[in-house]
Amino acid sequence: MQLSKKLEGNKLTITVSGRVDTITAPEFEKYINENIESITELILDLKDMSYTSSAGLRVILKAQKLMSAQGSMTVINVQDDVMEIFDMTGFSDILTIE
Amino acid sequence: MNKIFKIRTNLAFNIVSAVILLLIFFSLIVSAIGYVSFTNAFYREYRESTCNMAQTATLLVKADNIDTYLAEGGTSDEYLQSQKNLDKYCLKMDVSLVYVIKVDTSDYGRFTSIFNSVGRNTPYSPWKLGYQQDATNDEYIQVYKDLYEGNISNGTIYRTKDLKGAPPHITTLVPIKDTKGEVVSLMCIQRPMKELKDGRRPYLINIAISTVILATIVALLCTFYIRREFVNPLRRIATETDRFAKENKKGDELGSVSKIHEISTIGLSIDKMESDMLRHIENLTAVTAEKERIGVELSIASTIQENSIPNIFPAFPAREEFDIFASMTPAKEVGGDFYNFFLVDDDHLAIVMADVSGKGIPAALFMMVTNILISDRTHMGGTPAEILTFVNNNICEHNRADMFVTVWLGILEISTGKITAANAGHDDPAIYRKGGQFEIFKSKHDLVVGAMGGIKYKDFEIQLNKGDKIFLYTDGLPEATDKDNKMFTLDGMINVLNKHKNKNPEGILDGINESVSEFVGDAPQFDDLTMMCLELKDDKCLKTLTVDATTENLATVNEFIDGFLEMNDCPLKEQMKIDLSVEEVYVNIANYAYGDGTGEAEISIENNDGEITIVFKDSGVAYNPLEKADPDISLSADEREIGGLGIFLTKKNMDSLSYEYKDNQNIFTMTKRIL
Repeated sequence: MQLSKKLEGNKLTITVSGRVDTITAPEFEKYINENIESITELILDLKDMSYTSSAGLRVILKAQKLMSAQGSMTVINVQDDVMEIFDMTGFSDILTIE
Repeated sequence: MNKIFKIRTNLAFNIVSAVILLLIFFSLIVSAIGYVSFTNAFYREYRESTCNMAQTATLLVKADNIDTYLAEGGTSDEYLQSQKNLDKYCLKMDVSLVYVIKVDTSDYGRFTSIFNSVGRNTPYSPWKLGYQQDATNDEYIQVYKDLYEGNISNGTIYRTKDLKGAPPHITTLVPIKDTKGEVVSLMCIQRPMKELKDGRRPYLINIAISTVILATIVALLCTFYIRREFVNPLRRIATETDRFAKENKKGDELGSVSKIHEISTIGLSIDKMESDMLRHIENLTAVTAEKERIGVELSIASTIQENSIPNIFPAFPAREEFDIFASMTPAKEVGGDFYNFFLVDDDHLAIVMADVSGKGIPAALFMMVTNILISDRTHMGGTPAEILTFVNNNICEHNRADMFVTVWLGILEISTGKITAANAGHDDPAIYRKGGQFEIFKSKHDLVVGAMGGIKYKDFEIQLNKGDKIFLYTDGLPEATDKDNKMFTLDGMINVLNKHKNKNPEGILDGINESVSEFVGDAPQFDDLTMMCLELKDDKCLKTLTVDATTENLATVNEFIDGFLEMNDCPLKEQMKIDLSVEEVYVNIANYAYGDGTGEAEISIENNDGEITIVFKDSGVAYNPLEKADPDISLSADEREIGGLGIFLTKKNMDSLSYEYKDNQNIFTMTKRIL
């Protein structure tokens, strides 16, 4: 899993690539927590995220809850396989996916 | 009712009743004949004597003067004298009436009285001379006519019934002729027949009494005789047979029970039958006891034989490189077929399939000897040909029974799959090549073991590759026969093998057994049925990984699973789903199974024709993840709980999940079809 970010004022884009699993998810969570202070618009770019387990979903749901308190969160470029998991778990209804 | 029935079926009663009935019938006939002949004799005698009386009476009448008496009105002394004489005669003879009449010869229908004398104790009053009266009936008219015309010399008319107050009587008529020989009048005498009645009754009573006495005597004699010669002997026979049937023990001999030959023969025959039967019972008891003893011994022998060959499966649970399964179904309690397999060393597995000539105990003993010789000699090392050469020489040296055994002996080098084998006259095995079909593998046959010493057996090789199977059997399989004497045949066997070719050895043997049972039906099993299947397992088929159940080891688990899936050409999409499910289940075990401590998790993955089965085992606390309720995925982001999605995702991504807790282990199994 690799993580990168791009900050434009109060808008933060985090790009996730590779696998988000039980081992890597804590790192992902920490990365988000460290960077979203005073951010009102969070973009999660999942263009290169090939895999996520429930651990990854948990991080994304946490981020959604945090961001709905201080702004908004949008998920973009979701791969088909991951999208299938979002659909399965009802995440496609609670996330803003573009 | 029962009592009446008993009496009715009683032999003596029936015979005596029949005799009595017969005698009654007989006496009735005798009485009837006696009655008729008595009556006839009485009538004849009466008629003759009365006729004589009438003839005599005619002498008392002067025939020539009859017309004169009528003309004078009976006043002449001569008429009166004649009347007086006739009266006297009437009383003397003790008859009812003596009278003389002159019949009107124009139609004989009317007559005129001439003389008339009435006897004692009669209801008549005498007719006067010249009294005229019509003839009583046509019978009288006929007699009058016959007498006047001279057709008969006398006539008799019987009145057997009381008539107008008169008792039964006979009337005899004779003609009175004048000196010219002309019939001028008729002399009639009426005589009562009370003697007939008086004589006939005692006669009948006598006959009846004597018949009854005779019947009683005969019945008594008959009863006595029947009881002595029939009933009592038969009763003795019946009692004795009844006793024998109940007790089955020797009793008193019946001997000669009756003077009647047939009855006596029954008694003697029963004596003989009883003694014969007792002898047979004794024999049968002895034979049965012996049979039971043999049965028990055979059952022990059967157990010994079964245990002389490996019969616990899986035979080598620790070996993943191969799988072997075998079965032996003897036709009798013990059989001459056998299979055997054993590890010679870590890399060599010996497999033996053999069939001893003959069946039953001799074959079983021969089988034990051969099996021990082969396995002992195999453990000493050498090729199958060397082993069979040694075993053959050894058996021939001591083979007094001229028995022999066909043997297929192979030694598998597990690491390379190479089988070195020798065939002593045994059926060729069938070999399955991965992705192909079962086919008979033909090889050179050497002579059967035990036939002739000094033979050199030859080795040949079979290369098994991973995923290949070899099936060995005895001729009892292709030669299994149904009730119409049709054989299962080698082709039938190959067909069934190919129907089950993708199964493991146990599955294949089950399939064959099922098909053979179905084919044979109710026909008795004629030959032993023995078979064995060895599979050189494909690495792709099953792998197992055991790790410390920690989240850190997830990478190792992923690598293990992915490696297997890639080797099995799993599509990436399915691989991701399986990866996801494995991660969720494994992380669950790592986080919760052992609490704060650590323990092991065993993960095995198997591919059965495109269906992946993954089994997780851990020895942690019993926990069934399938009992956890699914999360509500319709809630909003704020309402949704963090977590709880793992097992839900697993359920969604796999085809089936199951959980059991067995031998202190959580066993979680999931399957997914990938091809």
